[in-house]
Amino acid sequence: MTILLQVAGLTKQFAEKVVVDGIEFSLEKNTSTALIGPNGAGKTTTLSMLTGLLKPTSGSVKMLDGHLRANIGFLPQYPQFYPWLSALEFTEMAAKLNGVPAKKAQAEAKKTLEFVGLGDDLNKKISTFSGGMKQRLGISQAIVHKPKLLLLDEPVSALDPVGRREVLDLLKGLQQETTILYSTHILNDAEEMTDQLLFLRDGKLVEQGTLREVRQRFEESNYVVEFSTEKEAQLFASQSELIGKAKGSYVYIEIIDEQPSMQGLLQHLSSCPYEIRKVERQTASLEEIFMKVARKI
Amino acid sequence: MRGFTVLLQKEFREAWRSWKFLWIPLVFALLGMSDPLTNYYMMDILNAVGNVPEGFEMLMPELMPVDLLQASIGQFQTIGLLVLMAIFVGTISKERASGMATLLYVRPISFGAYFMSKFIVMSTVGLVSILAGFTASVYYTVVLYGTFEIGTLIASFFTYFSWLLFVIAVTLMMSATFKTVVATACAFAVIFIGQILDALVGTFWTISPWKLPVYGVQLMRGTMEMSDYWWSLSITLVITIICMGIGILTMKKNASMTKI
Repeated sequence: MTILLQVAGLTKQFAEKVVVDGIEFSLEKNTSTALIGPNGAGKTTTLSMLTGLLKPTSGSVKMLDGHLRANIGFLPQYPQFYPWLSALEFTEMAAKLNGVPAKKAQAEAKKTLEFVGLGDDLNKKISTFSGGMKQRLGISQAIVHKPKLLLLDEPVSALDPVGRREVLDLLKGLQQETTILYSTHILNDAEEMTDQLLFLRDGKLVEQGTLREVRQRFEESNYVVEFSTEKEAQLFASQSELIGKAKGSYVYIEIIDEQPSMQGLLQHLSSCPYEIRKVERQTASLEEIFMKVARKI
Repeated sequence: MRGFTVLLQKEFREAWRSWKFLWIPLVFALLGMSDPLTNYYMMDILNAVGNVPEGFEMLMPELMPVDLLQASIGQFQTIGLLVLMAIFVGTISKERASGMATLLYVRPISFGAYFMSKFIVMSTVGLVSILAGFTASVYYTVVLYGTFEIGTLIASFFTYFSWLLFVIAVTLMMSATFKTVVATACAFAVIFIGQILDALVGTFWTISPWKLPVYGVQLMRGTMEMSDYWWSLSITLVITIICMGIGILTMKKNASMTKI
């Protein structure tokens, strides 16, 4: 795997307040990374520094494969367009400003707009666009010049479930050929299309790694066995040689160093006299992990 | 000057689609025709309104064509410039405040190109506007009063255009440097308070950009001290270029003020 972007000691201080505090990470080519954190964690500030709009107080952002500004596409959280331009005119302008030759620009713009689902609205004025259409246009202006790195600030937060689904599918389609870094606080989205997670809290990078790594670090290692009644659950918990805690009709069995194994548990359960409804190994959702990371001191 | 033609096209589209090429020249044309018409028909207007006392005799001054053009330029200097500056003073600062600039600033554009594209469009609107204003004023003056000498008229027109370029450079520099409200205050202060100061204490010097519009008229009267004229014109052009330079620098420096 080759590294595309290297960020070292990135810090931003506004007056007395340190908004981003010495974060370090790198992005591998053609992977997607989610920048996660509660509101005010410094996600947008970090992205602005990566785009070059905001000068870092200290630290560096290095693209190892070409000049940074020429090779990024950026979608702000609330993209603002010139309302008197049409979708095609705007995307074409974006392409040309990024050095797409004038002859090819219009064709590229058309292709991109069709890709994001605005094929029927090419010549409509942006002033008539709905929120979802603007978000698509925002994506089209960010990808029309085929940037190596795509930076998206809360790309789906402002959309309804249908729009969110569509935009997520669009982004998944881009994953193969582009490196994507996007911020979000909607964790289901991150769960869907992420190779790497970066957790920001109070401007500091408090957790990072692949989804699997972060999960393992935070997983509540538990089996959950569901019985049909509370009483049975309690009886099972008190009689069994496995250490389990009964809670309602569930029994929680802690896993320590991968013991007991699922097989072992099932063998044990097969001799159990009570009716068992469900057995599962509990996986912490990203949301639970998020809550833990956000509160961890 | 990367992206210059693309940005220029965008600026022209904006000015065209928001009818700036139509209604600002229209304002100037109305201002231009008002003085020749009202002066010529003053007696009739007073009679029509009534209230002129019996036996009232008013001595109307004998007006030369150049006096009427000077009056028209006086109108452009106040209301005309007010309109033009008010329309364009937010052209950079408002784009930043609304976040529309963000999608351009993240691209590898040259700020010099962006500033110049705005300068050229505003200058073109200005040129069309004063052309409309001068034409209206001259037309009615010629019909009602008498003719102009064409050579000095053209000289006067371009002298006024040079002053207008100075006004535009100041306006855009303020827009690049400050937020819209402050930019408006500063630009108006430089242009309008500058005019007042130059009129009040300007007798002590003869070379200043604020004197250019008057000098244009004096060219027509033939009373112009040419060395003062050339010095004022040169200084105005130099300050205009300096303002543009500062504007480009501050536009670049303030790029991070754009709303994200």
